[in-house]
Amino acid sequence: MAQQKVEIEITDANDYRVLRPTGDLDVYTVGSLRDAIGTLIEQESPKVVVDLDGVPFMDSSGLGALMGGVRRLREAGGDLAICCTREQHLKLFSITGFGEGVSIAPTVEEAAAGFRN
Amino acid sequence: MKLSLRWKIVGGFGLLLLLIVLLGFVTVSLFSSLRSVQRKVFNEAIPELVAVDELVRSYTAQSAAVHRLLIGSGSAPLLDQYRQEVGIAEVWEQRAERLFQEAEDQRLLEELTRAGRRFQELVDQEVIPLAETGKRSQAFRVLGSEGSSLISEIETLGSLLRQSQDRVVAQSENQLRARSNQALLILIVVILAALAAGTMLAIKLPRRLVADLSALVDATRAIERGDLAQKIEIQSGDEIEELGRRFEDMQAGLKRLQQLALQDRELEIAASVQRNLLQRSMPSPTEATVVPLQRQANLVGGDWYDVHAAGKTLTVAVGDASGKGIGAALMAAIALSVLRAERRLGASPKLIIERTNEALREASDQDSFTTLIYATLDFGSGEARWLNMGHPSPFLMKGPADDGARTGYFLEGPRNRVLGWFDDPGLAETIVRLDPGDRLVFFTDGFIEAKSVEGEVFGQHRLAERMQSLSGLPSGPLGEALVEEVERYAAGKLDDDLTMLIVEFQGANPEAPSEEGVGAWHSRK
Repeated sequence: MAQQKVEIEITDANDYRVLRPTGDLDVYTVGSLRDAIGTLIEQESPKVVVDLDGVPFMDSSGLGALMGGVRRLREAGGDLAICCTREQHLKLFSITGFGEGVSIAPTVEEAAAGFRN
Repeated sequence: MKLSLRWKIVGGFGLLLLLIVLLGFVTVSLFSSLRSVQRKVFNEAIPELVAVDELVRSYTAQSAAVHRLLIGSGSAPLLDQYRQEVGIAEVWEQRAERLFQEAEDQRLLEELTRAGRRFQELVDQEVIPLAETGKRSQAFRVLGSEGSSLISEIETLGSLLRQSQDRVVAQSENQLRARSNQALLILIVVILAALAAGTMLAIKLPRRLVADLSALVDATRAIERGDLAQKIEIQSGDEIEELGRRFEDMQAGLKRLQQLALQDRELEIAASVQRNLLQRSMPSPTEATVVPLQRQANLVGGDWYDVHAAGKTLTVAVGDASGKGIGAALMAAIALSVLRAERRLGASPKLIIERTNEALREASDQDSFTTLIYATLDFGSGEARWLNMGHPSPFLMKGPADDGARTGYFLEGPRNRVLGWFDDPGLAETIVRLDPGDRLVFFTDGFIEAKSVEGEVFGQHRLAERMQSLSGLPSGPLGEALVEEVERYAAGKLDDDLTMLIVEFQGANPEAPSEEGVGAWHSRK
């Protein structure tokens, strides 16, 4: 349960990449997400949509990694948008206030439409 | 050569076994060649010699009998003796024919037999008829000239045959000598080889084994003393070398364990620092009861709380740094320290939050943030105010109605953003008036994010339901029961800390002096 790994699928869309983690995003697995975002920055693909439909659970560490990703991608001239329909995650974004500064939408395309840079 | 210990031992014993088999083979072949020589000498050469001797003797005896017959007066016993010898000669002739196998020997025997026959023909057809007709001197002449030459021919042939048999015996002797010399040589070589193999097995292998094992024993002693830098150099190519490598791996494992133990020790120190930083005694004003509860998922964690009472104001803060472990604990320590320092300096709640945000922003990495609620309760008016910085909303449990039942709900007031991430997290406040008996329950997300074995979270709805059903309990037992409920739900495996503060307003104390608490909301500081 706790030591599960998260699988991250990366696909190419028009001018951005889509990251699809499958599994819980918590303190034990966020390293993978952080590394995946780091790799995309190195590859100069700083526009990323993270699709959270395959993530049944996300804790503050997972949220922290997403928000850290937003910051790093924006510094690299890109952005991170979130595709999410899960009530639980949407509530977390709303409680913490992270939802205000980031494009969050129910589909990847809608999320990508909200890129800032 | 790289051989496993097993194959070395098997090889050594196999070699010894091979040498023993070789030894046996050589001995058996020596005996069988002895046997064949024996057979040749006793079953062939000696009977052949005897047969030749008997043949020659029989013809000589025939000749002697005939001579004596001629000298004497024709006595019948001598003629009988002659006839008897002729019979004997026939028997030996037949026996000799069966014995002699060599072509040369057979030819000589044939000649000898032919000479014998001629002698007997001479005696039977000429000598005896002459003697019977009284012509003894003529018979003598015949016997003397032709008979003697035939007998001497027989003797010559007999001695030739004898020589041939002697040669066979001598040949056999030589053969036997050569065989036994050869066998002796092989025996010496085999014994030397067996000695060498035995010596290697008995001395060299154990010595090397003992030397390698001693090296291992020395290494374990050093490891026991705590020296984990042992280089084990064994190149025997067998299990001992493998054991040496495993020892080095084990050493590396022990080193890692040692480091982990050191980290554990550091973690314990950190935990102790954190315990000291967290409040050890609760203020106990008559106007409010404060019950703190905490269960840490790990030795150190990111959850914290702070309770302060001054004058007619109670100040309560509940915080949660994102992440786990030392990193989260450090963020918690920073938040708690700044918050306390600012409060002591008399800063207003909003200023305290701003300063805490600045400090966390400076200290946090990009992925870290802190959620918190900073609340005050005015004992005189019962007014509770708070700033919710990205934190789960508190639960308001109303005082018991006339029937003793309590109602409750989450107080979803205006919300601000988390600390440590945004320049301006927002400072919207929530204000609510408490009646005596009302409870405000502050908690961290560990309560709603606790997961069951199936991966389902406990959630706000279950928490509200439990708070409602357990609301009849006094604050202390209520908190304990809630914590136990969540722990049971997560089957004892909490991933996140659980922190809860229950504040129960008891009503204003009419005897209390009317003074304002520090850090009032309208303060300019």
